[in-house]
Amino acid sequence: MSIRLAGVAIFLVAALYAWTAQDYTASFGDVLGPSVFPVMVGIPAMALALSLVVFPGGSVSWPSGPRLLRQAMALAALIAYALLLEPLGFPLATAAVIAAVAMVLDGPPLKSSLIGIIGSLSLWVLFDQLLGLPIDFLGTLFGG
Amino acid sequence: MEILSSLGLGFSVAVQPLHLTLLLFGCFAGTLIGAMPGLGPVNGVAILIPLTFAFGFDATASLILLSAVYFGCMYGGRISSILLNIPGDEPAVMTTLDGYPMAQQGQAANALAISGVASFVGATVAIVGLTLFAPLLARAAIYFGPADYFALYVMAFATIGGLAGVDPRKTLLSALIGLMIATIGLDPATGIPRYTGGSFHLYDGIDPIVALVGLFAISELMFLLEKTIKDRDSAIKLDTWIPDLKVVFGTAWATVRGSVVGFVAGVLPGAGASLGAVMSYSIEKQVSNKNGTFGKGDPKGVAAPEAGNNSASAGALIPMLSLGVPGSGTTAVMLAMLISLNVQPGPLLFERQPDLVWGLVASLYMANVMLLVLNLPLIGLFTRLMAVPTWALMPLVVAISFIGVYSISNSTFDLYIMIGFGVLGYVLRKLDITLVPLVLGLLLGADMENNLRRALSISGGDYGVLVASWISVVLYIATAAFLALSVWLALRDRKRAADAP
Repeated sequence: MSIRLAGVAIFLVAALYAWTAQDYTASFGDVLGPSVFPVMVGIPAMALALSLVVFPGGSVSWPSGPRLLRQAMALAALIAYALLLEPLGFPLATAAVIAAVAMVLDGPPLKSSLIGIIGSLSLWVLFDQLLGLPIDFLGTLFGG
Repeated sequence: MEILSSLGLGFSVAVQPLHLTLLLFGCFAGTLIGAMPGLGPVNGVAILIPLTFAFGFDATASLILLSAVYFGCMYGGRISSILLNIPGDEPAVMTTLDGYPMAQQGQAANALAISGVASFVGATVAIVGLTLFAPLLARAAIYFGPADYFALYVMAFATIGGLAGVDPRKTLLSALIGLMIATIGLDPATGIPRYTGGSFHLYDGIDPIVALVGLFAISELMFLLEKTIKDRDSAIKLDTWIPDLKVVFGTAWATVRGSVVGFVAGVLPGAGASLGAVMSYSIEKQVSNKNGTFGKGDPKGVAAPEAGNNSASAGALIPMLSLGVPGSGTTAVMLAMLISLNVQPGPLLFERQPDLVWGLVASLYMANVMLLVLNLPLIGLFTRLMAVPTWALMPLVVAISFIGVYSISNSTFDLYIMIGFGVLGYVLRKLDITLVPLVLGLLLGADMENNLRRALSISGGDYGVLVASWISVVLYIATAAFLALSVWLALRDRKRAADAP
């Protein structure tokens, strides 16, 4: 069933892709223009996706509820990091994401937090002090 | 003679202090990355690429570092296969079959030494092959015109999945998805934005490096979270590293056979190190398994796949360097780095940047010796480092991936792209759609389109130009034959599965 659904999804994306490509026109440039190659890619993709819907191959076993929850939690931590990196600044945000991912992976909370703090500080020293990357210590939230 | 002088140039590049330091560091880090279950050559190399940019290394230095890591992984993968029965990376799966039983019988030191020496021989055979054949292939490829390159790319996409039991439709679909992603951004010929949704962030297209780190590092984290993490305290203890030399030399022919089989598998498109190990093991089993000892701790069953995966991984560098078409996942990732540094691999690379090519080749010879030293007497160090628990290791890997990606453009937009590709990679892998063709499509898509458009500009829009030269005709026939073979094999497997109860 998963394969069939994926086939439908890929078919729709490929169809939209090939359809959109027709609008890309240029009166100058080369003979082929910007739209032919996407159409050449999109149409076989539609055909292959359709064949997966009609003749699905293989089976998929999705993770059970609790595991799915762990994955969702880890993803939430990653997205939170992308959101908070600039406001919080590098060391705080990185310490938090390391600790959070470690705990999702069943690390003991105290040790996980410790690894977060040590890890983020050493990475900050390496990247900001030694390599001179523009990574702020404090984020915009603290006027850094 | 020409090769000797080229190699001389190579060694003069390789012994520069920076290159030597990177080589040693890469060998050490690679062995460790390979030994850690959950981290393999593909994600190890993918994570390191943004860091090499951050350090400001040039293409030669970066390529030396990444190749050392790549080779190191092949050595490291065997350590956890033998001591834990968990392959440290995918190509080391076959080593568990006989390596772990050997360790259980108190022969861990022998198994490690056999696999270490086999890795050395396998890699050396393949590097000699690389030295001899890569320039020849590059010289032949000089005659390729735009239409021939288009045909070569078509062949690369059709064959990258290999023959091994995967649904060929899924492999092709993966390549097509990669090509679709590659067209995002401004069209290079006309400057028209395609599939950007009006977002200026996407005008430059998707940075392949950002996508790669997501596809390999983040999706690996998702996979790790769905498994129960095995306890690694149960590793078999190692008392000594000194092996019984008689047992080691007893595997000499198995090692040689494995090296040759692995090399051939590595050079062919779509095979790579994993298939090299599988083929070496199964051929060795047919040759040597007379008393049914394979799978129960036969030293030859350790030597053959290790020689095979090391030899295949070095062999896979040949098509990547001389044609610009990688034959495996890790070489595809290395190609991404070269393209990002404005180095276009292919036949002209050997003429324009001989210092890069031959510096790399010379470094590989040296890396191999370093790795043998690191992996025999210092094996105890790696077994101790391997005991770092996953919950402590993976978060640091994630943090390093984030910094690396952020340092490319200093924008959090790339972080979202990376996470998005992580989820995409996870879902596709769950659906049994391999990611290597996707990566190849993403990397080569722009060049493939350019060659097509150039060919048709030359002919004035006549599609006949695509099959006008005998090179492209041969490539299309080979592609069609390969596809027919893989469809036939897939149908046969399905029929067998249906016949079996």
